[in-house]
Amino acid sequence: MAVVLPAVVEELLSEMAAAVQESARIPDEYLLSLKFLFGSSATQALDLVDRQSITLISSPSGRRVYQVLGSSGKTYTCLASCHYCSCPAFAFSVLRKSDSILCKHLLAVYLSQVMRTCQQLSVSDKQLTDILLMEKKQEA
Amino acid sequence: MAETLRRVLTRGCAVWSGEENTPAAGPPLLLLGTPGSGKTALLFAAALEAAGEGQGPVLFLTRRPLQSLPRGTGTTLDPMRLQKIRFQYPPSTRELFRLLCSAHEAPGPAPSLLLLDGLEEYLAEDPEPQEAAYLIALLLDTAAHFSHQLGPGRDCGLMVALQTQEEADSGDVLHLALLQRYFPAQCWLQPDAPGPGEHGLRACLEPGGLGPRTEWWVTFRSDGEMMIAPWPTQAGDPSSGKGSSSGGQP
Repeated sequence: MAVVLPAVVEELLSEMAAAVQESARIPDEYLLSLKFLFGSSATQALDLVDRQSITLISSPSGRRVYQVLGSSGKTYTCLASCHYCSCPAFAFSVLRKSDSILCKHLLAVYLSQVMRTCQQLSVSDKQLTDILLMEKKQEA
Repeated sequence: MAETLRRVLTRGCAVWSGEENTPAAGPPLLLLGTPGSGKTALLFAAALEAAGEGQGPVLFLTRRPLQSLPRGTGTTLDPMRLQKIRFQYPPSTRELFRLLCSAHEAPGPAPSLLLLDGLEEYLAEDPEPQEAAYLIALLLDTAAHFSHQLGPGRDCGLMVALQTQEEADSGDVLHLALLQRYFPAQCWLQPDAPGPGEHGLRACLEPGGLGPRTEWWVTFRSDGEMMIAPWPTQAGDPSSGKGSSSGGQP
């Protein structure tokens, strides 16, 4: 998809993926870069990854959506194809004020991809439709 | 998607050099213009263009059926191409959500181009910014899913038309900022003072990234046919639009 993260974030994530494959952990210098780019969101996102709060839901069609169980116990839906999260911080800080690139949930999704620690859940095509639609109903 | 529109606009010109490159769709494109600025005609021209590339079908979403098929740019309406354009008419924002959320359940080959006309009508019904953001994200996610179905090396393009007002209110500005975030490529259609009896527009394509901005001069003849020419003065005074054609595209 043509909608991409800023190049510096993409590069960092792909370097991290390579490092994780090599040594099965994120080297400290990358943790510092994360902290520099994302501030406190970086720690919170890593915490979400540690708690295995990220679930990749996929259906036979191949469509996928991520759900992240936030620290408050609420579940948020993330579309990794286009950088979207249903949390209020994404709506406010990312979309409205443009003072952050990502929210902690989306960052956790990308980190869990790098570290291959996503929970996986397979559902039917119909169930995936309901999950996507439910997001809309919750907001309404 | 920006690349499909560029091909439509470039092919419409006499100076089209025929350099057929790979039919890449390009980034998602937002088509902006005031009422009656030819957005639907250009969307339809893009649909015909994408339907002729030997690619999958085209999915054209619009709130109501087109009054008449817009005339192309000199090409006849090839029935084989028309057959590949699938129109769907979600009557409400709710139905549009339903369609996008269940796009992966639809049978048949995945579209190579997803078009939506009249986004402003859907946004007006549900003006909350977060709703708008989810709707736009779902459009992108649906196109991404179609791309995934098409397989490696092939992408489903996305092109969305949004009507702008002469004087935007704050809600429109908010929506526009949101859309520009998700649509790196934009094409603005601006009415321009044409010759007598002509209905002319300036089409300005910003392909996103570092790509060059290109401009065209679009007119509609009295029989409805769309005529496209390169914008006369690429580098000079943009208001002296009636000069001789330079013909060159950057």
